[in-house]
Parts: sequence; C-alpha cells; structure tokens
Amino acid sequence: MNAELTETLKQKFLLLDGGMGTMLQNSGLAAGGVPEMLNFTEPEKIIAIHRAYVQAGAQVIYTNTFGANRLKMASTHHSVRQIIQAAIANAKKAEPEYIALDIGPIGQLLEPSGTLKFEEAYSIFQEQIEAGKDADMIIFETMTDLREVRAGVLAAKEHSDKPIFVTMSMEENGRTFTGCEIPAMALTLEGLGVDAIGVNCSLGPEELVPIVKQLCEWTTLPVIVKPNAGLPDPLTNAYDFDAEKFAKCSEIFAEMGAVIFGGCCGTTPEHIQALSKMLSGRKPVQRKITIPAAVCSANKTVILNQPRIIGERINPTGKKRFKQALMEKDRNYILQQAIQQIEAGADILDVNVGLPEIDETEMMKDTVQSLQSITDTPLQLDSTKPEALEAGLRVYNGKPIVNSVNGEEESLNLILPLVKKYGAAVVGLTLDKNGIPKTAEGRVNIAERILEKALSFGIRREDVYIDCLTLTASAEQEGVMQTLNALHEVKTKLGLKTVLGVSNISFGLPNRELVNRNFLAMALSFGLDLPIINPNVESMTAAVRTYKLLANIDRNAVEFISHYGGEPKENISPEKQEISLSAAISSGLKTEAGNLTKLLLQTKEPMQIVNQELIPALDEAGVKFEQGKIFLPQLISSASAAQSAFEEIKNYLCEHNTEAVNKGMIILATVKGDIHDIGKNIVKILLENYGYQVIDLGKDVAFEEVVNATEKYHAPLVGLSALMTTTLPSMEKTIQLLRKNCPWCKTVVGGAVLTADYARQIGADFYAKDAKETVDIAKRIFNN
Amino acid sequence: MTISELLQKSITPKYCWKYFLKNELEDILLGEDIQNHLAQCEAVCLFCATLGQQADELIRRAQVKDISEGFTADTLASNFIEEFCDKAEKEIISHFPGKYFTWRFSPGYGDMPLSVQGKFLSKLNAEKRIGVHVHESGLLIPLKSVTAVIGISEKPLPVKKKGCAICQLAESCTYRKKGEHCN
Repeated sequence: MNAELTETLKQKFLLLDGGMGTMLQNSGLAAGGVPEMLNFTEPEKIIAIHRAYVQAGAQVIYTNTFGANRLKMASTHHSVRQIIQAAIANAKKAEPEYIALDIGPIGQLLEPSGTLKFEEAYSIFQEQIEAGKDADMIIFETMTDLREVRAGVLAAKEHSDKPIFVTMSMEENGRTFTGCEIPAMALTLEGLGVDAIGVNCSLGPEELVPIVKQLCEWTTLPVIVKPNAGLPDPLTNAYDFDAEKFAKCSEIFAEMGAVIFGGCCGTTPEHIQALSKMLSGRKPVQRKITIPAAVCSANKTVILNQPRIIGERINPTGKKRFKQALMEKDRNYILQQAIQQIEAGADILDVNVGLPEIDETEMMKDTVQSLQSITDTPLQLDSTKPEALEAGLRVYNGKPIVNSVNGEEESLNLILPLVKKYGAAVVGLTLDKNGIPKTAEGRVNIAERILEKALSFGIRREDVYIDCLTLTASAEQEGVMQTLNALHEVKTKLGLKTVLGVSNISFGLPNRELVNRNFLAMALSFGLDLPIINPNVESMTAAVRTYKLLANIDRNAVEFISHYGGEPKENISPEKQEISLSAAISSGLKTEAGNLTKLLLQTKEPMQIVNQELIPALDEAGVKFEQGKIFLPQLISSASAAQSAFEEIKNYLCEHNTEAVNKGMIILATVKGDIHDIGKNIVKILLENYGYQVIDLGKDVAFEEVVNATEKYHAPLVGLSALMTTTLPSMEKTIQLLRKNCPWCKTVVGGAVLTADYARQIGADFYAKDAKETVDIAKRIFNN
Repeated sequence: MTISELLQKSITPKYCWKYFLKNELEDILLGEDIQNHLAQCEAVCLFCATLGQQADELIRRAQVKDISEGFTADTLASNFIEEFCDKAEKEIISHFPGKYFTWRFSPGYGDMPLSVQGKFLSKLNAEKRIGVHVHESGLLIPLKSVTAVIGISEKPLPVKKKGCAICQLAESCTYRKKGEHCN
C-alpha cells in the first residue's frame, strides 16, 4: 500500500473528506457530548455523513475517532478498541477508497509544559494504532506539539506498516501554539519516515497561502492541505467561505505543488465536491527542490549555509566540576553551561554526559529533555554508546546530529540505522581499525566509505558531516596541513559538510588560545562548516564572526557591527573594587560576588568564607526582610549573588579534591499535580547558599518518588510546596507516606495557599511562610 | 535585552470568548459567590486568555540562569497576562453596545471551584482555539493563562468592590495580617 500510494500521489491528487463536527451539528446532534460515542448511538447518521463525503468525491474517509484515546474516553465506559473498531466499521459501510484512522491530540500536554511523559503519550497512541489496524492509513491531525507528534509517529512506525500522514495546525505567524515552525516540522517528520505532511484547521485557505508555500519548499513529501472554511465569526462562530470560494482559494495550493486536499471545520460535502471539480482538470505539479543541510529543534532551524558554532562545554572530560555535577545529578549546573554557551554565540550544543560511574543512557535522556525544556538551540548527541545515543534520539524533539560514527564496519552498522530511524544527521570520523590515516588522501577515502554506507541506509547526503580530525601540532606538526587538506577535499570533491574539534591542535603548547584561534581561522578558510569550540572564549567566537565578515557571508557586516560596533563594554576588574563580599551580596551584585570570592579563595579557607562572609550577609538580608526593610526581590537578588559566590567555592573544592560543603541533606519537591515551582526554586537556592545539600525532585512529583529519595539519602528534612488548593490533598498524602516509611524525617511545607493551621492539619512538622523561614527551620533541625 | 523586552518579543498572547445565556451554564457557574456576582445579569461572556507556552519556557530558562531573573520574569509575565485580559475585556464588551458589565470573575475566586475549568475550556473550545489545557489538578497550562466570566446586564449594575471575601489568598494574605489591603 505504501509504495502504491506514493506512486499514485506522483500522478494524481488525493481527495480527503471535510468537517465532521460541522456535519454532526447540521444533523441535529447536540454539541457537548462525546462525539466518538455517536459511533454506537447514532451509527446511521455517522455513516450518512461518511457517505455524503464519498459521493462528493472524497477518496479518503477519516474515522470518527479524533479523541478516541484512553484519557478522553475514560468517562464513556467503552474501551478504545471498541470505539475505534465501531468507527472503522461505520466508515467501511460508506465504501470509500481508503479509510484513515483519525488521531487527534491527546488533550494533555507533554512535559515540560505539561506533565504527560513521552512514554505515556507513546503508549496512548500505540493503543489507538493497534485498535485501528483495519484502517488503510493513519492520520495524526490538528497537532500543535511536535513532541506529541513524534511519540505518535514512533508508535505508528513500531506497531503498524500503514502509511502515516501528519497535519499540524499553524497560526498566522507560521508556528503552532507551542512555537513549532514549518521547516522544523518538515525536517523532523520527513526524517522519521512519515508518508505525507501538511496543515489542517486553525486557518482558512487565504491565511494558509504563505504557510503552505513554505512547507512546499521544505519537504519532498506529498503535501496535505485541509483548511477551515475561512475564519469563524467571533459572535456566531460560523465560517464564512462557501464551497465555490473555498475551492477557488485552494487552487493556489495545487499550483504550489500540494497533492492531497480536504476540508476541516466549517466544510461540508459541497466544499469537497467543489474541490473535486477544481482538481479534475489538473495534474500534480512536480516540485523540484533540494532541502538544505540543516538541523533543528521544534522551534528553531539552523541551516548549515555558513559556519555554525558547536559549543563543546557540556562534556565531563577534564572538568572536575562537571563530573561532580553529573554524579550529583545537578541538572541546573549542566543547564547553566548550556545557557552560557548560547549567550556567547553557540548555534548548536554538543551533549556528552559519559562517565563510568553513572548510567549514561538514563543521563543522556534526562539531559536532552532538560535542555529542551529551557532552550531551542539544536543539539548534537555525543556518545560512544549506541544505547545512550538511542535514548537521546528517542526523546529529542527535532532533528539532531549524532556524534559519531567512524570508518569501521561495526561502528557504521550499529550507529547508522539509528541515524536513519530517528532522522538525524551524523558526524563521520575519518578513522578506522588502522587508526587515523597520516595523509589527507587516506582520510578522504574513509570519508567516502562512510558516505557510501550512509547512502545505502537511506541517509541523505546532506546529512553526513565529516570530521577530518585535528592532531596536536606539538606532537605531529606535519599532520596539521593534512587535516586541512583532507577537509578541503571532503568539502569540494565529496560536497559534504565538515566538522572539526579545534582545541586539540594546541595541546602541549604555550599560549593555546593563540594557536587555537589561528588554526580555527585557517580551517574556516579551508571550508570548515561546523567548528566545535568553547564559545565562551571570546577570541574563538570572534574568529568565526570575523571570518563571516571577510568571506562576505555576514552581508553589510550586520552581525559583526551588532557585536563590536557599540560602546566598548565596561570592564570592571575586581582589583579596582572597594567593596566587600558581604556588601556585594547585600546589594545583589552577582558578578562582583563571584569575582570577590575568587580573590578571597587565594587567602582564606572555603569554609571560612562560607561561615564568615556568605552566611552573615544572608542572615542580615534575612533580618531586614523580616523587618520589612527590604522586600522579596531584594532578598532574591542577594540569594542570587550568594549563589555565584557559592559556585566559585564549589569550583575551588572540586579543583582541590576537597569534600563538598554539606551542612545537611534536604529533599525538596513541588507536590503531585502542581507545576508551579518558582517558590520552591527560591527556597532551594537559599538553602544551598547556607551550605545545605539539596536534592531537588522538581515539580509534579509522585508520592513514592519523595519517599524513595528520602529513604535513599536518609534525609532528615523534606520540604514540600504547593500553590493551589486542589493540590493540598497531594501534600497531605505525601506527608502520610513519609510518616509511614521514613519516620525519622521531619517535613516543612509552604506555598501560597498554606497557613500554619492547615500545615498542622495535614500533619506537617513545620510551616514556613517564606524561604527565609525555611532556612531558620533547617538550622534548628541540623543544629547549625 | 531586558527580561521585559525578551518576554514581549517571545510571547504571542491570545484569547477567545463566547456569549451565553446564564441558564446555559448551570454546570459552570457554581458557588454562591459567582451567583451573587451575576445576580442581575441575564447573560455572560466566558473568556480565556493566555501568554502561551513560550512564556513558560522563558521563565524556566531565566530561573536556571539566575533565580532573581526568573522571579522577575515570572512576576512580569503575571502582570502581562492581567494587562492583556484588560485589553481583551475591552474588545469583548465593545461587541455589546449599550449593555452593562460586571468585572471579571475567575474560577477559584470565592467558592467557585477550580474543578469547572475543564468544562469551561470545552465550552470555548479553548484547547483548539488558543492552546489552553487543563491539568487534572485544575491548573491551566500554559501557566500564564486566565479564565473568567463577565456578566452582561441590560440595566446599570451597582459598583461592587473586589474585596478580600472572594480572594483565594484571603487566609494567608500578608497585607490582611497587617490590617492592610492590596488595592
């Protein structure tokens, strides 16, 4: 069926049906109930609607199963299987050419915006797909979250061999509600091996013109257009396009190269008939397009049409503080590394979380998900373990880069199928079982072999990036030009994108930055597309910006001037400052607090600084806050400044292999059902500033998870937060379970709706009205 | 760019609304407080507004970078959604010239339960129209979202103050403890 359909779509248009909701209302079926139940209660009316569409010329009938998932059907007392099978039986009676299993959004948002887990979404879709195995194809429609679509498509790919169509709902800015943009949608879904993609609902044909045009430029797949009948009237909610106008306005999509047509809200069999008539005299336009080399997250696409910086800092190699963060699962530290690099100019972030002491597979998944909850910068997944790569690829929302394969058969056969399955791009290292060839020629040969193998797996040429490998100039000086010559050959003869880790060049030499910067400039001139560098080193990002200026990529020097054209940045060196650390903390001066701590560490013991400077300054701020002399924003500013001081102390302790500051272990969580966590996060920072070791379980935390963590760390104190009255029962339940399983631990609760009385009622040991009071309670518990 | 500029640049606030007769909403207008509030109204508009998921992401990111930046972003976003609701309210009532309106009353005020959020959103088809979802706990997602009821009357309405009695923070309010008011 897949091959047959694909062939058909080259020659002929495919006509889908029109709106179901509109027709149900027209048949006098009241809105408000569960529409899927009509498959049982009013089968004749459903069949009549399907039949009317078939008679109007629709070849594909969508089953009446838009919301037929186990969450939305929970109230109906019918199983997903029963509902979907009844719907397919109804569709069959109308005798269409094809029956499409219709799957709409789950209705609950996935993490990180919502609380639904990726795996749970997958399982919900899997159930629908298995129930709908008698349909001819699977359609995901009205989708707005690419994450959710990916879960559905993976479930479909792994549990069915039917063609998969996906249509998403775009707003006039060319993005879905979640911010997903057309190029990212197209790159991701074509990469996953979907059979046709397009848009439905939200807009009418007129508003969809620029959106469909862009889609036609970003995919080689058949394009689907299923608009609403215009826009709804704000008062009556009626749609304003009649059939003729609808069809007339849809003509332009056929001219752009769309081949699958239909209608969404407000459309009727007349609209479909008019479309059928409009298409009858036409032939599909053959689009001749090449999709550029590009990677993306859902909300951001990075086209490799100019050098793009890959930030290398998320990597424990040679970084004690990073290793410590991985061992302690200190997510915030890792995320801060990401933000710093992005602000410094990274276009893509390399993610390497490999450490023998930890479960790399779990950590890769967790890190990818956490990173994607705070940034839309695309990622490069970096691991030597296929299972860690797959864990990252599975949850990565977009099209990432896999780092890496090499010329060995085993590596190619293990990694390339994963690259293909998840639609990623891949870095090929020019080495094999004989090591790194000395000559440029040898490396180009391996690059060719990698390319051939990748093509044989169905990976696009544009998605293979070659790393010709930097050797250190101190040990193999004659090798430097071989790397650059190989890079140039790969770029010009093979026409592939090139990637290179730069910093290795200067290993063992003095003035490494100078060597790195010049080697980077040389490599860029030889055709380097993706330098892997530390973007926080200003001279390195500056070298890339300067290259773009001189190579006429940065037209009219717009980017260059925006970075270097303004007033010279004020540079306050700590030596010149006449301010004490405690004054910096009181005034909330973050940078100064960090710099002053660095200076103090040259003469004082870390614990002295904590006890004599940090804590007294925070205490003073706390007292002023209690007295109403300063307010929450100032208290938080002080906490933030103290945090940067504390980070310097942690760095110092790591470098000197000294034990971390630990005045006591505290577990924090926002209770199940609640996802407001800013209050808890403020408490966390303040506790950490006082030297407590905080295990932050996050938000919407299951009861058992709190208990498990408390047991695991034998934590003497657990802090729970809730913002809403409706989540207070969750808090109570958590406390009960803690009482039962962890009788040694004390609980402190806080949050907007809590009061001391209520805290007592639900069995908490302490109520803290703010972050400051939580610290006071911790001091009492730990006697410090 | 300041947090405020960044927020304004990255968010796309949206709202949707619909007109109902009061008796069409018996399963939504629950509680004595909302009934009193609408006592002299024949009809209402339900409306829902949101800053969208981008605001949530920005706040998450700001918190990781620097807690005081996160706090600022969160507070600013709360302020933006209120301002946006004011603007939306003006646009909505402009559809009803010559009528009189109550101030916005939201689920969770007084004794109007949060459990109506699901039905409230489906009356508006808000999930599909502006991407607002409800969590099982009654929480709206994206976080900076608001649902509210505006009462419509043919006759002038007495001016009612938004007092502490209907405020969900009444019990724990620090202003009240000092004998003060927030507005």
